[in-house]
Amino acid sequence: MTQKTFLLSAEGVNKSFDGFKAINDLNFYVEKGELRTVIGPNGAGKTTFLDLITGRTKPDTGRIEFEGVHDLGALTEHAIYRLGIGRKFQTPTVYSDHTVFENLVLSLEGSRGVFASLFFKLNPAQKDRIQEILETINLAPHAQRKAGTLAHGQKQWLEIGMLLAQEAKLLLIDEPAAGMTDEETARTGELLLSLVGKHTILVIEHDMVFVRQISQGRKVSVLHQGSVLCEGAADVVQSDERVIEVYLGRKHAR
Amino acid sequence: MPLFKAPRLLLPLLVCLFHLLTQRPSLAAPALQTIAKAVLLEDKTDEQVALLETMEPDPDVAKFLNLWKEGGIFLWERPDQTKVAVVLAEQKDAEDKQAATLLETGKPLLAADGKPLRLLASDLTAAETDSTLRETMKAILDLAGLASSEANVRLQSVETLGMEQNPARLPLLLKRAEKETDPKVLRALKEAVALTQLKDESPDTRVLGCRMLGELGSIRAQDVLQALAKESDGAVQRAALGALTKITLHIQAANTFGTLFRGLSLGSVLLVAALGLAVTFGLMGIINMAHGEMIAVGAYTTYVVQCVFGPGLQVSPFGLAMSLPGMRTTGWLYDCYFLLAIPLSFLTAALAGILLERTVIRFLYRRPLESLLATWGVSLVLQQLFRLTFGANNVQVSSPSWLSGSWTISDVDFGWNRLFVISFAVAIVQGVFLLLSRTPLGLLIRAVMQNRAMASCMGVRTTRVNMFTFGLGSGLAGLAGAFLSQIGNVGPSLGQSYIVDAFMTVVVGGVGSLFGTIFSAVGIGMTDQVLQQVLGNPVLGKILVLAAIILFLQWRPAGLFVTRSRSLDN
Amino acid sequence: MNPHPKRELLAAGALAFLFLFLMPALNAWAPENSLLHVSNFTINVWGKYLAYGILAISVDLLWGFTGLLSLGQSLFFALGGYMLGMHLMLMIGKLGQYKSDLPDFLVFLGHTFLPAFWRPFSSFAFAALMVLAVPAVIGKVFGFLAFRSRIKGVYFSILTQALTYGASLMFFRNDMLMGGNNGFTDFKTLLGADVRSAGTQRTLYIVTGVALLCIYFGCRWLTRTKFGLIQRAIRDSETRVLFSGYAAANYKLFVFVVSAMIAAVGGALYVTQVGIINPSEMTPDKSLEAVVWVAVGGRGTLAGPILGAIVVNALKSWATRAIPDLWLILLGGTFLLIVLFLPGGLVSIPSQLRRLLGRRPKAEEPSTEGPAPISKASVS
Repeated sequence: MTQKTFLLSAEGVNKSFDGFKAINDLNFYVEKGELRTVIGPNGAGKTTFLDLITGRTKPDTGRIEFEGVHDLGALTEHAIYRLGIGRKFQTPTVYSDHTVFENLVLSLEGSRGVFASLFFKLNPAQKDRIQEILETINLAPHAQRKAGTLAHGQKQWLEIGMLLAQEAKLLLIDEPAAGMTDEETARTGELLLSLVGKHTILVIEHDMVFVRQISQGRKVSVLHQGSVLCEGAADVVQSDERVIEVYLGRKHAR
Repeated sequence: MPLFKAPRLLLPLLVCLFHLLTQRPSLAAPALQTIAKAVLLEDKTDEQVALLETMEPDPDVAKFLNLWKEGGIFLWERPDQTKVAVVLAEQKDAEDKQAATLLETGKPLLAADGKPLRLLASDLTAAETDSTLRETMKAILDLAGLASSEANVRLQSVETLGMEQNPARLPLLLKRAEKETDPKVLRALKEAVALTQLKDESPDTRVLGCRMLGELGSIRAQDVLQALAKESDGAVQRAALGALTKITLHIQAANTFGTLFRGLSLGSVLLVAALGLAVTFGLMGIINMAHGEMIAVGAYTTYVVQCVFGPGLQVSPFGLAMSLPGMRTTGWLYDCYFLLAIPLSFLTAALAGILLERTVIRFLYRRPLESLLATWGVSLVLQQLFRLTFGANNVQVSSPSWLSGSWTISDVDFGWNRLFVISFAVAIVQGVFLLLSRTPLGLLIRAVMQNRAMASCMGVRTTRVNMFTFGLGSGLAGLAGAFLSQIGNVGPSLGQSYIVDAFMTVVVGGVGSLFGTIFSAVGIGMTDQVLQQVLGNPVLGKILVLAAIILFLQWRPAGLFVTRSRSLDN
Repeated sequence: MNPHPKRELLAAGALAFLFLFLMPALNAWAPENSLLHVSNFTINVWGKYLAYGILAISVDLLWGFTGLLSLGQSLFFALGGYMLGMHLMLMIGKLGQYKSDLPDFLVFLGHTFLPAFWRPFSSFAFAALMVLAVPAVIGKVFGFLAFRSRIKGVYFSILTQALTYGASLMFFRNDMLMGGNNGFTDFKTLLGADVRSAGTQRTLYIVTGVALLCIYFGCRWLTRTKFGLIQRAIRDSETRVLFSGYAAANYKLFVFVVSAMIAAVGGALYVTQVGIINPSEMTPDKSLEAVVWVAVGGRGTLAGPILGAIVVNALKSWATRAIPDLWLILLGGTFLLIVLFLPGGLVSIPSQLRRLLGRRPKAEEPSTEGPAPISKASVS
């Protein structure tokens, strides 16, 4: 038997809130270098799944592994982050009182220790890296603006930029297209696609147009009632009877 | 070998009644003659003792013996040089003279011309008593107490007789035990009998006594039993030691129950003080540092109501003289002031709370830390206002008579005020629960607290609901004040002494959970009392409770009952 | 907040010259009855204000910059005072009421020898070390427990309030052997000098001023490092900080311990000048009072707390004499109004005025709820 190591694997994970089963015996695997999209109706447990990966909540049972060795259930948020798992939240979460530049400085890969922070100085390579990211996310002209004053879409990009600054191995992107104009959505898609290969990316999304744009035949997972309903290319998944049922709620046959 | 004839119960009772009606000593019973005779014997103590010991111990005798002991019987020399024992009436006339009664007959002392004589106390010599005589008298008095119609008097005399351990008294005690109906006295009688049995010659009886004392858990018998265990050997010693063990267990049980009861009542105090906070802090997220002052508002309201029922009230804040006329009621009507004070305290504090909400709090709904600071400012202002209005010192709030008293069950004291505290807390919790779960206002409150924006979209007038909720929280604080005025001091800084505890209670219980507040209040109250009992030091106990709370929050950072929320960053 | 670093340095220099040189000089050398003379009383009062300024900075470092409203700062302030106070008590020697080597209260309590934990305090160096070490250790232990279990926001305030309350209960007790109710007083000498002489008081005043200046610049440096960035990030969104890989608890613990030590330094200097320390300095209310200074001066700035401490205490000195009945109402009322209407405090008045008078506020600028913190970090 060949034991394949996944970048991220979740096995037999359960999580309930006050009796409500948000995650129900979930098994989920992501390979290194993948761009995986997860779709699912409201309450399917998508965001809870991200919470479990990033340590915001702990699984009741089951095991979530990163790189086949790290048990994420036993680690704190910041320790998980330091493993190289970055998350972009559903609502843009940036440091709104800091400038765009400072936001990136805070996210820059490097020591997270207290004493290191006291004597931290940006070296030229880091400055270049920040400049590069600013250009990637199209915010170079706004580097000295307070992040709180940015437009919604710009905040989303800044947050993605922060993940890039972190040099995260796994990017968890929660509904990047939410609240964006079509044009912004398209650009976000391009941005994500440009990262494929350098990072492993897990995108959670509602917008099927966007999903088709970024998945491009790659694997899409459908989450329903806390477990994976089916997996496959976007077109295949979309024509799957169960998925249609779940989304449109024709009848409850099962 | 009975020394006394059986006490005739009926006659003394009748006599007693008669006395109550006539209010003057007029009994010409043989007993009085005996006393008078004894008084006249003056220095011959032996004879006096012998004479007194022939007497039947009835309440009437007790009365005159007491009078004698206190120096209320005088010797008056007749013109013919013979002495008689006289008693003086209480009333003095203009010349300080008092009417005199002949002790022997109970009739007024007449002068030669047949007119009642009036004497000057300082002209007479009081009949003296020496220690031997007083002892004899006391024994008679105690025996007389046995026959008293008042259970308390009987209880006292039984207890005294028991400690005397005089085998001679045994038959009397046994006889009394047959008739006794009051359970407390009966228990004391058993105890006294057992104690007396310890002095019996037969070891078997002594063992019997030991066993009985052990069963009764007699605390007062401990010393005697310890002595007995040392002195004797064999079965008696074993019995004594066994009884001591049982008594120790009983004491422990009594202490434990006492502690639990006090813990429960302290828990109720905390609960009542914290319940309002649980509403404003838990449901609204407002840190109201002026909560303590809302409690004080309630307490001062109670004070004002009390003054109106009593002598009235004059206050002069800022030099403005104000006065409230008093109704000068007494008795049960006065005791009723508290019933009126309870709702008024609620209303006053609720109005003050609504005013506070309208003027300050509503600007701070999304800024909890600022609400903490602003309300602290309010609390300073209010404290100073109390000081200016009612003075810097504590004011006197007297408890109605139905709150001062206690029951003792099996050596555990149940103070009425503590019982009241507990039932009051239960009632308030019940009330709040009903209000929140059964009334439209409660529904609105819960809706707004769960999701302000959503409720607002659904057409709920959130501002009004906020106002009422805050009013409710403050009103509950006012109730707490009414109630704390009965068990502690009422002064300008009353609130300060409860605010830290109240916050702790809410935090430990889990913010937003009224149930949690109940559990944590009782838990903290119990812990505090138990620590106090174990450490024997209230302050140390309090410090340990605070430390325990900090450690508890390590284990459950969100308190006992967590209200889960799925939203980010709150 | 401060777009003109040169101007700031200039202002700091001018104030330092005024307070650290001119005032003591006028106190020492200007003739008693001349107009320029600064009285010993004035020096003493200002020394107290400056010590309060140090306390205020420690409150602001937590509250203004990290978002932690600690009601425990008065505890650390008083602890600093107590630690140095122990040394001062031992320096009284046989000059006390009972003519004993022991501090008076110990004699009064019937002790015949010095308790072990008192002994090392006869060394000034040890006492000075303890001024920093004891608050640091207590801060570290408490902070560790509190931050580890993620107690934040108002919970943190309530818990520090309980800590302070518990500590004050302990210090009120006689068997704590720290002077009970009355605390420490009647100090005689410090490092061989008579503490009550004008010369010593002047020196202590200058030392306090220098300490304040050092702490000011120390905090200024701290808040402009990457640490400062993280600090403010924690204030604005602690959850996000965790998802940027920072163990927020460690950062909070660090700043909590640092500000505990700063408060303690203030307390130690305060005690030498006021001449008394007792548990009433330790109550949560005293912490809240310091929070008032910060709020009045300007939260989230470094000049604000100092200004606030001086203004409020000067006002207090005046009001407790002129209108004693109304002082608390004045304090509470001022505080209330500032929280409601001037969240930026006094230091924000100039910019508020400018906004009112000249330029209309820019439309795209969001209304800043909290006060504006320092804007540009020196990281680039």
